[in-house]
Amino acid sequence: MKQGYTQVKRMTPIMRVMHWVNAICLVGAIATGLYIGHPYYQTFIADGAVDKYVMAWNRYGHFIIAIIFDVTSIVIAYLYFFSRFEKPYKKVIPNAKNIKEFKNVFINLITLNRKNELNSEHADSFNTVYFTIFHLLLIWMLLTGLQLYVHGLGSGTSSIGAWWPWMLHAVTDWTLYVTGGSKMDVRISHHLTMWFIICWVVFHIYYQVWRTIFWKEGDIGIVISGTKFVKDDSPKSE
Amino acid sequence: MSDKVEAVKKLFTSQSSRVETNKGDTYYQELFDKCEARLNEMRSHQPANKLDFADLLEENGIDRREFMKWASATTAMLMLPPMFTPLVADAAVLMNRAPVIWLELQDCAGNSEALLRADGPKIDEIVLDIISLEFHETLQAASGHQAEKQLEEAMEHFKGKYLLFVEGAIPMAMDGQYGTIGAKGETFHDHLVRCAENAAAVVAVGSCATFGGIPAAAPNPTGAVGVMDVVKNKPLINIPACPANPANMVGVILHYVLTGQVPELDSLLRPKFAFGYRIHDNCERRAHFDAGEYVEEWGDIGAKNNFCLYKMGCKGPMTFNNCSIVRYNDGVNWPIGVGRGCIGCSEPDFWDKYAYERPMADAKIKAPTGGVEKTVDEFGLGMLTAVGIGIGIHAAASAIAGKRENSGESHE
Repeated sequence: MKQGYTQVKRMTPIMRVMHWVNAICLVGAIATGLYIGHPYYQTFIADGAVDKYVMAWNRYGHFIIAIIFDVTSIVIAYLYFFSRFEKPYKKVIPNAKNIKEFKNVFINLITLNRKNELNSEHADSFNTVYFTIFHLLLIWMLLTGLQLYVHGLGSGTSSIGAWWPWMLHAVTDWTLYVTGGSKMDVRISHHLTMWFIICWVVFHIYYQVWRTIFWKEGDIGIVISGTKFVKDDSPKSE
Repeated sequence: MSDKVEAVKKLFTSQSSRVETNKGDTYYQELFDKCEARLNEMRSHQPANKLDFADLLEENGIDRREFMKWASATTAMLMLPPMFTPLVADAAVLMNRAPVIWLELQDCAGNSEALLRADGPKIDEIVLDIISLEFHETLQAASGHQAEKQLEEAMEHFKGKYLLFVEGAIPMAMDGQYGTIGAKGETFHDHLVRCAENAAAVVAVGSCATFGGIPAAAPNPTGAVGVMDVVKNKPLINIPACPANPANMVGVILHYVLTGQVPELDSLLRPKFAFGYRIHDNCERRAHFDAGEYVEEWGDIGAKNNFCLYKMGCKGPMTFNNCSIVRYNDGVNWPIGVGRGCIGCSEPDFWDKYAYERPMADAKIKAPTGGVEKTVDEFGLGMLTAVGIGIGIHAAASAIAGKRENSGESHE
């Protein structure tokens, strides 16, 4: 280890697995979702319709990814409040300490690392807020997506029973009213939210790389090894 | 505040779109007895007009066998078991005892045209011919004061018994002055409220009457709304589509004649027997959708082979209606059958949100300010570009600042 640095743990194995599952799912969901919204490649016209199942496979993939997202979302929501490592909800409560920390990190970003008064040993408030925004967007995608999905279950039943469409209606019908009243509004909102998520991802990747380069603490390694290095002389306040 | 409480209550108690196609033998036996008793009672009533259904069928060259085929198809459409077929046939004959008042408001008369189907009427249209149409602004010979008198008389004579069919939206802007009717210049709004007061039930026919339709499309200069926004505290049935399918109009009237009740409705007050499934669910081109075989442009090899019209903007996957099953003009054809996509005409705000004949991803959406129209993807790419530029500036500035730091003028 380089002189003057301490190794600190920042992500548990389960958090890292979750991160990469989400990242892969996100790429898959966007690739299949864009196809569902506007099929952007064609099938071989010489093959008979019985031999190909392109839209259906895209939709199948999209739904399986959605279910994986459902599961990771539930786990993350649980860890958000009950993790034994770091409880992220504690960092989004707008108390004086968190607001100060958020400001410090934000000022560090816009002053191009000129001002650096933050403690980088643990997850900071800025990153936790950013993380929370992502999961709110994801929950919105799940709710609007399930609303679009339940339209296909007009018979009121499904292969796993009548409770499933009933539950989807009970849980997601409100998205119709919130987005503007028609099914198309839900669809447009679902599609638009994808773009918000893509923008989120672009900044997320940039910011992690930027921090790695300018803080010189190996932040990008957190998501692989779960650890980073902190300069022994960095500010330890808060 | 109480409005909000009501809205929330409605949100959590509204029925889902579940369609119960089998309610059990006991239920149907009870319903059968009830319907039979009702039909017997109606038979004793004096017909409201002299038209005889059997004669009309014969005049139009439709034999009994064809009529019974229609009766069993209609029974199936109403989601009733086959034992109801004779009752449906009886009810069709007794339709001349169902008084109907038809109002025409802000619209194109397309639903009246569908009702008449003047060129070669089929059984659905003949059934609609013999309903006792007491008042129909567009069709009747009377006009002016004479017409108003006729309306008054019909409303008085059939007080609490007539079905009020409404076609067309109601303009609400400028105190409703965008549409007035009759010698007294009564606004459409007042006219509708007055006629609805003593109706047994109100049936909104067509997209304009149900959700405002084309008159209510952006920017909606006349402030058009549907009947359900004006008439409260009355049984109301919406039969949207542009025009509404005569088969569904017949279905609703038959159901009323048969049971004396409105059929089971979904959360948008549409009868579930007609609007319980998406067009997509029963589309004859569905296999091409799943296979990824789409018409890419009009007249291409896909179009010639009846490929899916999704990429040409077909909105079948988001539109609840039964035209893929009953079709139009006595099952002759329907939009997708003739090779053009569905425009979602039976959904709220269809003109702005469904009928743009492009896939949804290419649809123009409005900015919150109202003015700028961009597609979702253009908007999204714009946003992404903005993020990219911001990052670019930040990265370049950071690199320059970093260099300066390295060359000795460290700030810490």
